[in-house]
Amino acid sequence: MITKIDSEKCIGCGICARTCPLDTIRVNENGKAFIAYPEDCMTCYLCEMNCPNGAIYVHPFKELLPRSLPNCY
Amino acid sequence: MKEHIYETDLLIVGSGSAGLWAAYSAKQKNKDINVMIVDKGPENWGGLMACAGGDLDIVMPGEDIQDWVKDWVYYYDGLCDQELMETLFKDTYEILEQYQKWGCEYLTDENGRMDTVGVPQRGLEHIKLYVTKVKGSGGLRMAKALAKAIKEAGVESLGRTMLTDLLKDETGRVIGAIGFNTIDGSFVQIKAKAVLIATGMGGWKSSYMKNPSTGEGIAMAFRAGAEIRNMEFARVWNVPKLFGWEGQTTLLPLGARFVNARGENFMERYSKTLGSNTDPHYSTIGMALEMRAGRGPCYMDTSALKPEDAAVVKPKLGWQYINYNRLKDDCGIDFFEQKTEWMPQPLMSYGGLVADLKGATRVPGLYAAGRCRSIDPGVYTGGFALASTATSGKIAGESMVDYVQELPLVELNQAEVEQLKGKLYAPLNGTGVPAKEVLRCIQNIVYPYEVSIIKSDGALQNALHKMETLKAELLPQMGAPDAHYLMKLKEVEAIAFITEWYIKASLMRTESRCGHYREDYPDHDDNWLKWIVIGLEDGVAEAHTVDVPIETYKHPIERYYQDNFKFE
Ligand SMILES: Cc1cc2nc3c(=O)[nH]c(=O)nc-3n(C[C@H](O)[C@H](O)[C@H](O)COP(=O)(O)OP(=O)(O)OC[C@H]3O[C@@H](n4cnc5c(N)ncnc54)[C@H](O)[C@@H]3O)c2cc1C
Ligand code: SF4
Ligand code: SF4
Repeated sequence: MITKIDSEKCIGCGICARTCPLDTIRVNENGKAFIAYPEDCMTCYLCEMNCPNGAIYVHPFKELLPRSLPNCY
Repeated sequence: MKEHIYETDLLIVGSGSAGLWAAYSAKQKNKDINVMIVDKGPENWGGLMACAGGDLDIVMPGEDIQDWVKDWVYYYDGLCDQELMETLFKDTYEILEQYQKWGCEYLTDENGRMDTVGVPQRGLEHIKLYVTKVKGSGGLRMAKALAKAIKEAGVESLGRTMLTDLLKDETGRVIGAIGFNTIDGSFVQIKAKAVLIATGMGGWKSSYMKNPSTGEGIAMAFRAGAEIRNMEFARVWNVPKLFGWEGQTTLLPLGARFVNARGENFMERYSKTLGSNTDPHYSTIGMALEMRAGRGPCYMDTSALKPEDAAVVKPKLGWQYINYNRLKDDCGIDFFEQKTEWMPQPLMSYGGLVADLKGATRVPGLYAAGRCRSIDPGVYTGGFALASTATSGKIAGESMVDYVQELPLVELNQAEVEQLKGKLYAPLNGTGVPAKEVLRCIQNIVYPYEVSIIKSDGALQNALHKMETLKAELLPQMGAPDAHYLMKLKEVEAIAFITEWYIKASLMRTESRCGHYREDYPDHDDNWLKWIVIGLEDGVAEAHTVDVPIETYKHPIERYYQDNFKFE
């Protein structure tokens, strides 16, 4: 899941917001990207790969979903 | 509310592999035709292909397509649309050549030959996949190449636009669609001479990056009169418990395997012939039985991979590379050095639209391509999707060019448009139940293994009852505070539709076949060599069966893949 956008590093180019397939990221009125809809992230890393300034950190762990099997979280 | 009105000859809904191939091929056939491609995600982003490995099932020159079809008849336990498989796979080599022309590279041997390095799938004789040269971002490269090609061909593209309803003229022909911009909420009307649904499968927003595939395209085509089939088959996948991993279709044939808590290769218990080298739809049944017997959890064990094979499957680019390194560096998980816990997860329903060999549904002017059309029942071979979405998109795009030749553009009936628009925006008030909560309820109904993996009448009846209550009580109460959430709400409505028919069709098929496993009917039943087809008859949804016309097909059923397994 996306966990961080470093506003110091963000130059407000908007590429991440344009690339996110699920519209998780938006750019605010101060020209900084922020995680607008965190619950939508599917951990695809497309935003991080496209950020020209290394401002985004996607953590490899995904959203925990209901279990299919007993004893399996 | 702002409004946009567009018109085009061909309207393509969904810019995944199928939609992009359809747009490209239509323009190749007739450069003067107007083509518009619309996606609820970013413009021309490539759909799931943007995250895919890029593996392709290719019938190589010198191979006989009939050998592949025979493999499928066996693999699908007879439930194989033989003519469709032949049509979709006979020209896969052309697709590969086109990708190569666009600069995409695939693995070869030291002499530059590809045909010697195919990875056989699921213990089958002929079906093989071919992997991209450098593991990690093959699908993304293919998506970018296609997006560039359609731009150059003059296709008009619209991103962040979700289409929700199709419109027909008085003769019953589809003449356009409506929807909305998912960022600013503005209303969109598109007039078209023919519409292609290329919106992918309908699923449950699992953690395997299938989140955009929620089934609205299937649901809207169904409401317009198209039929659906194969709804009882769910794509249940083995996934790491905590993170994402792409590539088991290559890992398993190369010697990786699933083991239980005791370290046993438990699939050998259930299949003496195939062991772990089979389809997830069988190994997840094995996993569920291991857990039930107290021998869980289960793990992926890569220790038997040869170093030279591990070198090929180790990610080197793209999201897979970041993911692999980050797991190692930030989470202390080295995929190739330790066992990782895996579990089954229902991703989506295999069910989809019924269409003919050219991609036409039974509704005039409405076509389907890619994963939203029903091609295969409940088991999968790696590389199948990127090959069949390309060919089905290509065929549909070309057929639509012929279809629209003499057709006029027709004005949309504005009274009907207004009515649909009112219904579309009604939940946009922010006070209702969040769509995500309802999604969680649906996942809770469908995820338990007795509904998704080892099905039985009691569990399915119970699930159906819960779904019907949810449909009556919870769905109408959903609300969305903004256009973004309106999109999520529309997705959940479609997920509910898909889920209801997944459960109903699962109840109906009182046998086991091709990944649909009923514990109360564990064997295949010759009376069930049929598809369950669902359609609207006089406005009412009805399911009926259609026999597989085996006597008119080229290949009889000589053996059943499921006979390789004994689940006791
Ligand atoms: C991680 C991962 C790895 C994979 N690896 C491989 C592989 O190596 N080989 C292989 O063969 N397959 C692979 N697959 C599967 C394959 O990528 C997909 O099955 C295939 O790309 C689906 O193509 P499609 O065009 O049918 O649908 P999709 O890619 O789902 O595209 C449908 C598009 O329609 C849009 N859409 C949906 N509804 C609407 C609507 N109402 N309005 C507007 N737009 C809409 C969506 O946003 C999406 O862009 C992989 C999949 C994943 C997730
Ligand atoms: S891509 Fe990077 S720099 Fe550009 S807006 Fe996003 S976070 Fe900021
Ligand atoms: S990881 Fe993918 S889904 Fe998540 S915010 Fe980034 S682009 Fe969006």
